[in-house]
Amino acid sequence: MRLQPSFHLQTLRLLASFFLFAACMIAPAQAARLISQLSNDSVEITSSFDGERMNFFGTIVPDAGSTEKTVAGPFHVVVVVLGPTQNRVAREMTNTFGIWRNTGQVEFDNFPSYFHVLSSGRLGDITDITTLTTNYILPESHTLATSNTDWWKSAVFGQQLVRLMTEQGLFGVQENGVNFLSDTFYSARLTLPSNAPPGPYIALTYVFKDGAIIARKSEGFAVRKIGFERFLALASTQQPLLYGLVCVILALFTGWLGGVIFKR
Amino acid sequence: MQIYLPIAEMSVNLFFLVGIGGAVGFLSGLFGVGGGFLLTPLLIFSGVPAPVAVASVTGQVVAASTSGALAHYRRGAIDLHLAMYLVLSGVLGAFGGVAMFSILRNAGQLDLVISLGFLILLGSVGTLMLVESTRAILKQRKGVVVRERLPNQHNWIHGLPLRVRFKKSRLYISVLPVLIIGLAIGFVGSLLGIGGGFIMVPALVYLLRVPGNVVIGTSLAQVVAMMAATTILHAVQSQSVDILLAFCLMVGGTAGAQFGASAGKYLRGEQLRGLLALLVLAVAIRFGLSLVIAPADPFSMAVVGGMQ
Repeated sequence: MRLQPSFHLQTLRLLASFFLFAACMIAPAQAARLISQLSNDSVEITSSFDGERMNFFGTIVPDAGSTEKTVAGPFHVVVVVLGPTQNRVAREMTNTFGIWRNTGQVEFDNFPSYFHVLSSGRLGDITDITTLTTNYILPESHTLATSNTDWWKSAVFGQQLVRLMTEQGLFGVQENGVNFLSDTFYSARLTLPSNAPPGPYIALTYVFKDGAIIARKSEGFAVRKIGFERFLALASTQQPLLYGLVCVILALFTGWLGGVIFKR
Repeated sequence: MQIYLPIAEMSVNLFFLVGIGGAVGFLSGLFGVGGGFLLTPLLIFSGVPAPVAVASVTGQVVAASTSGALAHYRRGAIDLHLAMYLVLSGVLGAFGGVAMFSILRNAGQLDLVISLGFLILLGSVGTLMLVESTRAILKQRKGVVVRERLPNQHNWIHGLPLRVRFKKSRLYISVLPVLIIGLAIGFVGSLLGIGGGFIMVPALVYLLRVPGNVVIGTSLAQVVAMMAATTILHAVQSQSVDILLAFCLMVGGTAGAQFGASAGKYLRGEQLRGLLALLVLAVAIRFGLSLVIAPADPFSMAVVGGMQ
């Protein structure tokens, strides 16, 4: 798949090289390779954007140098979709002198703004917790990196942050999200919500056999504003003064026009 | 029909936005206030991030007040000299308010301050207005002729140094209270996303004794100029003004205000003030309850810094 120019981002390249490196280091349990595809490599946000459905599909084939003609399963596939990262805080309200206010907060650096896991079975059945955590497949694994030194507090706030993100539809785990159409061919469907933050996304696909990762692949796609929405969003950050002036002129004009139209 | 708001980064029903703009516009036309104190909470309760709601409503308030200000200007019911002093100090206050807004947002205390601010402001202004209008209505029922307070009755506030003559208001008073009122309203208005008309009018009437025929016009002119400046400040500082959101609200608001203004002709002044007082108190109570009732979810989250 050809990547969009906007994907030539440092993080993506780093990740790609990391995976290549990792793939070379860990000798696969069985020589298998993953051929996969995304239904769309960019999701465009227009004025009527109300979410978008994406399809991931692929097939597991013998490795290029392998002598075997077929691969033997059973396989499990896990697709992890990661959105752009942000620094996010979780806050807790407590009651002091009868008033509820935010008293505690923990900041999580480089926290994904979107994280969905699709798998062909229960994650606990596919592999062990260590593999899931070290590969960042579990939502909670993203809350481990925090500047806060209080371990217990970080753990509590991290769990709450994951819950809040899940309630917003930004985090999720669908343990029946991947369907095998044959022994080696799978497809998965994901609906990006309308509040999906724009930016570069990565879809990481892992193939498991007997609890071990035997193949993996990463693909990128972009969620971006196009046309007028992109123009407005850019203008507000690059020409904030002009943007503000235009807002005011628009407001004055609308107010004046309202007075003229409805004048009796 | 869904519309995607590029700065709020969410999609909202277009008719819902124009609808709440229109409903609040109707009330603002009816009572002669900007309506920011209703619109900002409504947007926050419907899921728009608080910073975007506050910043975008400032733009809407400009539009809502412009047609009224123009109408008063044509009738010569604006004391431009007085408005100028109020605007200059108001913009200064707005600088402070917008800076405070950023500090509080990063500290996670913005929601608390917005709730407390609305509670104190709306609660006190609403109570005062309710008492005053109830008294006026009761007196009228008894057949007592209500005597308007004379505009040139002086109090100690007028005696402060640095006196300036405001011809149109027929006042020769110290500029210090004028500047302090402007400064305070600029600060509070930009922090809470309200025009401050409902504080400005009582302040001009009861503190400065500005005559009734120029009060509303001067207050509106001040709101237009100060909120225009605040919109630009928010656009530069917090970059959270959503022009599409503001525009949808403006369209509904300016249309609604016209119907509100014509509906207002069927009600008497003290009745209008009584109803407005009840409305203001209701919003204050809503904010007060949110402070003392245990929240459904004690945890919340926010993005700090920009996207990376």
